[in-house]
Parts: sequence; structure tokens; C-alpha cells
Amino acid sequence: MNGVRTIFGREIASYFTSLFAYLIAAAVLLITGILFINNIGRSQDQVAPNPAAIPDFFAFALIFFAPLLTMRLLAEERREGTLELLLTSPTSDSSIVIGKFAGAWAYYTIILAITFVYQVILLNISQGQTDLAHALCAYIGIWLYGGACLAVGMVFSAATDNQIVAAFLASAALFLLWIGDRVGEVIPNINVARFIRELTLQSHYASSFAVGLLRAEDIVFFAGIIAVMLFITIRLVESNRWR
Amino acid sequence: MIEVKDLSKRYGDRLAVNAISFKAQPGEIVGLLGPNGAGKTTTMRMLTGFMPPTSGSAAIGGFDVVEDSFEARSRVGYLPERVPLYPDMTTEGYVTFWAKLRGVRQPAQAARAVLERLHLDDRSKTLVRNLSKGMRQRLGLAQALVHNPPVIILDEPTIGIDPQQVIEVRETIAALRQSHTVLISTHILSEAEQICDRVIIINQGKIVAQGKPGDLRKKLNAANLESVFLQMVNKDKRA
Amino acid sequence: MKPNDTITITRSRVGKFGSFVGGVALLVGILALLWTGISTLSLISIALAAVGIAAWAIFAPKDFSGFITGRQARQSLTAFFSTLILIGIVAMAFLYVRERVITFDMTQSSAFTLSRETLDVLRRLARPVQITGFYTSRSLAAREIDDQFFRLYESASNDLITRRYLDPDEVPALAQRFGVIQDGDLFVSYLSEDGTADPNALSRVFRSGRQERDMTEAIMRLLIAGSVTVYFDESHGTRGALDGTQVGLSGIHNGMQESGLVTAGLNVTSIADTGGDIPIDARAVILPRPLVDFTEGEVSVLDRYLQRGGALFIMTDVVFTQDAFLRETGVLNNYLWSNYGLRALDAAVVDPGASTETPLDILSYAVVSNTVTPRLDPSTAPAVFSLARALEVSSSSPRPSVANGRFIMTSELGFAERNLELLGSTNTYVFDDGIDTPGPITVAAWAEDLETGARIVLIGDSDFASNGQVVLSNGNGILITDAITWLTSIDDEVTFAPVTTGIGLPLVAMDDASAQILTFTVVVLIPLSVLIIGIAIWARRSRA
Repeated sequence: MNGVRTIFGREIASYFTSLFAYLIAAAVLLITGILFINNIGRSQDQVAPNPAAIPDFFAFALIFFAPLLTMRLLAEERREGTLELLLTSPTSDSSIVIGKFAGAWAYYTIILAITFVYQVILLNISQGQTDLAHALCAYIGIWLYGGACLAVGMVFSAATDNQIVAAFLASAALFLLWIGDRVGEVIPNINVARFIRELTLQSHYASSFAVGLLRAEDIVFFAGIIAVMLFITIRLVESNRWR
Repeated sequence: MIEVKDLSKRYGDRLAVNAISFKAQPGEIVGLLGPNGAGKTTTMRMLTGFMPPTSGSAAIGGFDVVEDSFEARSRVGYLPERVPLYPDMTTEGYVTFWAKLRGVRQPAQAARAVLERLHLDDRSKTLVRNLSKGMRQRLGLAQALVHNPPVIILDEPTIGIDPQQVIEVRETIAALRQSHTVLISTHILSEAEQICDRVIIINQGKIVAQGKPGDLRKKLNAANLESVFLQMVNKDKRA
Repeated sequence: MKPNDTITITRSRVGKFGSFVGGVALLVGILALLWTGISTLSLISIALAAVGIAAWAIFAPKDFSGFITGRQARQSLTAFFSTLILIGIVAMAFLYVRERVITFDMTQSSAFTLSRETLDVLRRLARPVQITGFYTSRSLAAREIDDQFFRLYESASNDLITRRYLDPDEVPALAQRFGVIQDGDLFVSYLSEDGTADPNALSRVFRSGRQERDMTEAIMRLLIAGSVTVYFDESHGTRGALDGTQVGLSGIHNGMQESGLVTAGLNVTSIADTGGDIPIDARAVILPRPLVDFTEGEVSVLDRYLQRGGALFIMTDVVFTQDAFLRETGVLNNYLWSNYGLRALDAAVVDPGASTETPLDILSYAVVSNTVTPRLDPSTAPAVFSLARALEVSSSSPRPSVANGRFIMTSELGFAERNLELLGSTNTYVFDDGIDTPGPITVAAWAEDLETGARIVLIGDSDFASNGQVVLSNGNGILITDAITWLTSIDDEVTFAPVTTGIGLPLVAMDDASAQILTFTVVVLIPLSVLIIGIAIWARRSRA
């Protein structure tokens, strides 16, 4: 636990002191801000604003955003040689991976939390009639979704010491996990299509959390993806010791 | 403190370390001497638990590096050849981080103490990336010492720094003799001769000679370690 | 441990890549094999796995042999199998939780919660019911969204309702038997003994965008299906229930069938001739504008039927013959007037105040609040009648147990043209004071005997129900549906208040100034301040 806490602390501190992290945060807030204004702009033409508009955007943006966060996590440690020091410290490999993952997820959580300001604004300008619970549901979903994306990104960060390769592969994987929701359009066999679709991240968000339905199975799915991906990452880090 | 028995490491079909055995007592500084690629770094990596041996065993303070990896690792301070740094941290933050990770009770105090000892205390708020090469080397040393481990393993600690700093680092290492067991690798013979109580010469993964620097010189009837070394290497080539 | 940002292609890298591709393909291949058996996907994956592993063995033989034997192999194998076990555990947990259907509806409108009315309907289910959905794989995403809704039905009915999805491309014959028109068509049906859906007791789910209402109504229709039979009179030159032409009634007939009602024909004349009775199962009898008036015998058939709680839906038209159906002095008209306080007048309705093309094509100008057509709203969708007959409702009830009333009237400007001869020959209609009845004129009326349960709806027009005119206005359809619903009392068995989704969600109202402030805050201020904080921290630290 001590190891997780220490590594988590270092990760968080490095986000808060790195210009890169602020740049990403500013860019995300700019894009979501425009989306939000657009969304309420449309609602003046008699369409109720979609409470899940911002989370829906994240579902897509995470394809690029998550690898950007995770690519350096292990690849950089390996390149700088600090991984050797971490692995020779009296800390378990899992603490290293979990600490780093928790740090990245916390950073993501903070950015997500800032965008929740939009919901509060909406609550005010709509005389308290916004479906805040629906929005909260979508946010819970996209928070878990983000955790799963970061966990997937970490696998690739652990698998290669080249950050660009790590980011590219993670992006490609996340893209498949996103577009796979529409696999039925290309695979005519509905059972195969359904099975593949069930494995995608988007299918466990778009048809439940995003429409305001909290399903235990989706929570289990995302938690499971995170657990499996972290497990694989830990094994990959551990594999440094097998040589 | 360090006990190595028939330690071997095979990469594919290359034997990087070939059945080496040695011991190091508390308060002893042991030099691992050999040309590049002789197997020094591999040996040290096995001792620090970074990679497992192919065969043979090694123990730190009586704890096997494979079976009791955790206990062994907590008794070692390690400085790899390329100093591993986090460029975006402050000097103090960096040392405190490693102190915490290794379970030091009061990490901040320990960090300040070790920085003072290595004359880095006036740079404690400086970012690591703004440090000079010599200071980085000392910072690397600081993280290896911060948890006051009984065994300190230093891989080429004086490589790539200027002569003045080399002297400082050597003095620091020499000062560790009282309370620690130090294993240091180098390919500079004079350095080994200067600070080590005992020297182990390895070449192509095998121990070719070991003993006190003076004894080795006498035994081999050489003027200095330089010639001992050359003798060894040439003998190997002929064989 | 040197920085390695460039990628060079070496034998070992090719080997490594091969091992990666081989491993992934092997995994996919095994999964595909388990899932689909021998298929293109599984064969291709396994072939790819073989190629990848071969490349590995050829280009990095040492690595390969090291993988097969030795510690690395042992460790990798352990890692691989422990990962598989973890995936297995996660999959089991997922499937277990999914079976339990633990959901929490967080929408304000309770869009994913079954209403009390639906639960009431589900409680009345006694036999297994199947929801059959026809979706192609193209509409898989829609199917999954629908499915989680149907799952609520399944779990709320204690699995009495089951879901089944079929691909209409795969089972075209079955799809045709169900009457699938488009991708995503849904049906509710009882399950027969052998576990297949019974296509003879089908209820189509009409999609109006309100999922719960659509589905529950379909189940409701299934519940009443077979239990409610409505007869169409086929004597006296009535409009044909199966007649598909412009003047026929096939539209409403088929609509009633799709709503789960059983329809059948009967011949009042032959029943009267043989001294028989209207079938016992008749919940309502429709007299769809007979041309010839009823005889004493026929009226007594109707009377016996009403006496045992029957329901009559009478449509009458202006007919210019002496023996026209329901003529003012006829037997049936007298019977209705003396027993139920309703009668038809030999007069045509003219309404210059509320009509379409001519004053004879009148609109349901005024609808009195009533139980017969609660949904008919003349301001949005009036019913349209052409050449309607004026009706009259008695001011006092003829019998103590009878309640009656009118529910559709003309405007104040309307009147009942008495001179049918002139109207028929020259098509002229002017209000003659003292002869013609001044408006508002009654066009539709109802009566109910609270003792026997007899119900009557009398409408002075039949064109509105014909295939040609039922489509003119939504009001026409509503009038028929509501009237049948009231007559057959199916609304007493199932009352369903629809969930109001999409209603009450906020619309945003802002003036321009505050909109601009908001835009500035959200698009400029928030991102910029984050950026400034970042730059400030970075600048301060980089000097350190």
C-alpha cells in the first residue's frame, strides 16, 4: 500500500507541475466548452439539451486522450532507466502499476469533474429543471470508461519503450473498442456481431449510462476490463525480471 | 553481507556471467573490475533482484535474491550505470520519493540529511533537469544511500564526470566503508586500486583473479593493476 | 538501456512481431472456434496464427526455443493462464450480474422504469409470452438498446415473458408469417406448448417512440385477444368489412384485428328468419350503414341482444329512399327512441360554420366531454363527416336505468335540412325557418342501460369510417377506435396511463447578454485560466 501511495503521489505531483498536462486540460475544456454552448444553443430551438453531451464527447475523445496520458507512464520510466530502480526497490510490481494507473485516472477524474461545471450552469439557466441525475449517470459511465481506456493504454506503455508506438497502438486498440459498437453493420452473422460488440467499451456506455440507465453489468464490465488490463500490465512489467 | 555462489546468466546462447562466486564482508569495499561487456552490470542486476540468475545463487544479508527478493532488495542501495532520474522533480522531491518508496520512517529528514552529506543541500529546490552532470551523479548516489542500506551497489559511479567530481565521489564512497558493504564496478584500474579493499577481476563472465590490490600485483608480479589486467585479458585471448 | 526512438527492422524484431501476431491470432482463432465452430473467421485466424508463429520460429529461433523451454516459458505460461483465469472470472461475474438485471434508472422521466400500469398488466399474464424481435445485424445497436428495455419486462413478469431475436434475413419464411415489414419489427405472442411463438395469436408492437406504452399496449392486446369478438352485420346492403375499395371498411376491420379483436360477420336478417339469436360471444355488433330498414323481427333480435348487455355501433347515412335504414318513423327508430332516447331524423346536416369543401362536409365542431371518445379533440384533429344525418337525443331519459347523451355537434350556424327531396335532386340547402331544425345539430350520440349493461353508439354518418375517408383526418380513426373501445369495454379491463417521456425536460431561455457572458466564461475564461495556471507553474519551476 505504501508503494501505491508513494507512486500515486509522485504521479499526481508530476501532472500538476507539468505544462503538458495543463495544455491537455485546457484543450479538452475548450472543446467541451464549445460543445456545451452548442448544445444549449440548440436547446433554445425547443430541443431539450442532452445531459450526456459532454460524456458522449469523451467516449470518442478518449481514443486520443487516454493514450496521450498513458504513453509515457511506463515507457518513459523504462527509457530513463528509473524502471530499473523501481523494480529493485522493495516494492511489488503491482504497486508500481496500480499507483501509476491511479495517478492517471485521478488526473482524468479532475478534468472530468471540471466539465461538470457545465451541468451546474445548465441547472441554473434552466430554472433547476435539468436532469442532473441523468447527467450524473453518464458521468459515472464515462468515468469508468476512461479508467478502462487508461488501463488499455497502460498495457501498450508497458509493452514497448517507444512512447510513440505505445500511443499509436493504444489509439488503434481504443478505436476498435469504440467503433466495434457498430460491428453489426459489417458482420452479417448476428451472434458473432453481438459477441464482438459485447466486448467493446462503447456498447457498455452508449446504450446504458448515456441514456440514464445505470446497469450493474456495465460497472462489472468496466471494472473487469480495468482489472484484466492492469493484470496484464503487471505481468508485462514483471516480465522484465524473467530475462 | 554479499554471498555469491556459482552465479551464471545466459542470454540466448551467450553466457554473460559464468559461474562466479565471491563474498563481501561488512565494512568492505569490493571492486568489480573488467572491460566493457565482461558481465559486471549483469552481475549487479542479479544481485539487486532486477533479473534472476540462470543458475547459481546470490544472497544479500543472508536473504536469497530470488527466494526472498523483497528482504534482499530492501537491504540494497543501487545506483545503475546510467543514473535514473526524474527530470521534472526537485532534488529534494526526488530523494524523498525514493526514501518513501523504501519505507523510510521520516523520508523528508532522511532526504535532507543525505543531501547535506553529499553537498547538495543548497540545491534541494532545484529541478533535477537543471543539475550539472556531477551533481546528477551525486544525486544518484543520494537515492542509493537515503534509506541507509547495509549493502550499496554502485555501477560505474565515476563515469563521465570531471576529475574534481570524481575525487569527491570517491571520497564519499570511501567514507561509506565504516558502516556499509560496498560493491563497486569500474573499468578504471587506478580507481579500484585507490578505494577498494578487494578487487575481483572478471572477463567474459568469469572471475580471472581476486584479492587485495597489493597482493594481486605482487602475485602476478606486475607493476600495477593495469598490467595485471592486461595480462589476464591477453591470457584469455590466447586460450 | 539506451534511448531507442528509431525503429530498425532486424530479424529478431520480425520474429517478435511474428510471435505477437501469432499469439493474438491464436487467441482470436480459439475464441472464434468456440463461438462459431469452423467458420471463415476461425480458419483465417488459425492460419494467421500458424504464419505468425512460423515467422517467429524462423526469424528468432533462439527466442522461440527459449520460449518453448526454460523459465521464461514457464513464467509466460503462468502469466498467460493466470490472465485467462482472471478473464474467466470477470466473464462469469459479468454474466451472473447480467442475468440478475440489476439496473437503476437515473432519468428524471423514469424512462427505464416500468410504470404501475404496466406491472398491473404483467400481473394478469397467465401463460408464457414471447417478445419476438426481427432485427438484422445492421440494427444490432438498436436491438441492444431495445433489449435492455424488454429485459425489464422479462424480470418484472418473473420470466413469464421471454425475449427472442431473429434475423429476418436468415428466416425469411418465418418473418413473412409474422408479417415483418421492416427491420426492427416487434411482436408479442403466446408461446404454444412446443415452445414456439403462436403466429395465430400475435400482437404487433406499434412503434410510436414511447417504448413502454407501445409494448404494454401490445401485451394488453394479446391479453384481450380472442376474448373479445366484434360482429359486422352483413345484411341490408351494409358496407363490407372486407371490402378494400374506397367505400369499404377493410381499413378499420384490419385495424381491429391488429388490435387483438376477433372480428366476424353475421346476418341479422337470417337470424331473425330462423328465430335465432346474435352469437353469445358478441361483445359488440356493428351495423355499418344498412341501406334498408329493419323489420320487427330483426329489431327484436337486436332487442334481445341489448337486453343481455350487448353493444351496438350504428352508422346511418342520409338515404333518399322511402324504406331507408332507420327512417324517422321506422320500427328501429321508434324502438331506439322509446327505449334509449336516441333517434335519427330524416334530415341532412348542413353546417356553414364548420365544414370543409361544402357545408355538407361537416366537421365535428363541438365535442361534449364524454366517456365514449375521450381522445377526440376537434381543435387539433376533428372528425370529418360528409352528408351526415341529424340525430336527436331525448331531453329526459325514457327509462330510469338508461343514461344517454350526444357527444358530437355542429356549430351554432349548422342546421338540419328537412327537404331531402330538393337536396337530392338539386343539391340546394337553405335554412327554412319553421321547417328546418336550427343548430347545433347532434351528429353522434350514445346511450347506456346501467342495469343490463347495454351500450349504443349512434353516428349519423358512415363515410368517415370508409377506406377513402378514414385517412382524411386523425379524428376519424380516433372516433372509431374510441367508440369500439367503449362499446366492448376493453378500456375497463386495462387502463393504461402512458409514461410521459421527453415531456418536462428543460428548455433554456436566455437573453443575448447573458448568453454572451456564458459563452465567454465557458469557451474563453475556463480554458484560459487553466492554461495560465499551467504556464505560471511551469515558469516558476523552470527557473528553480
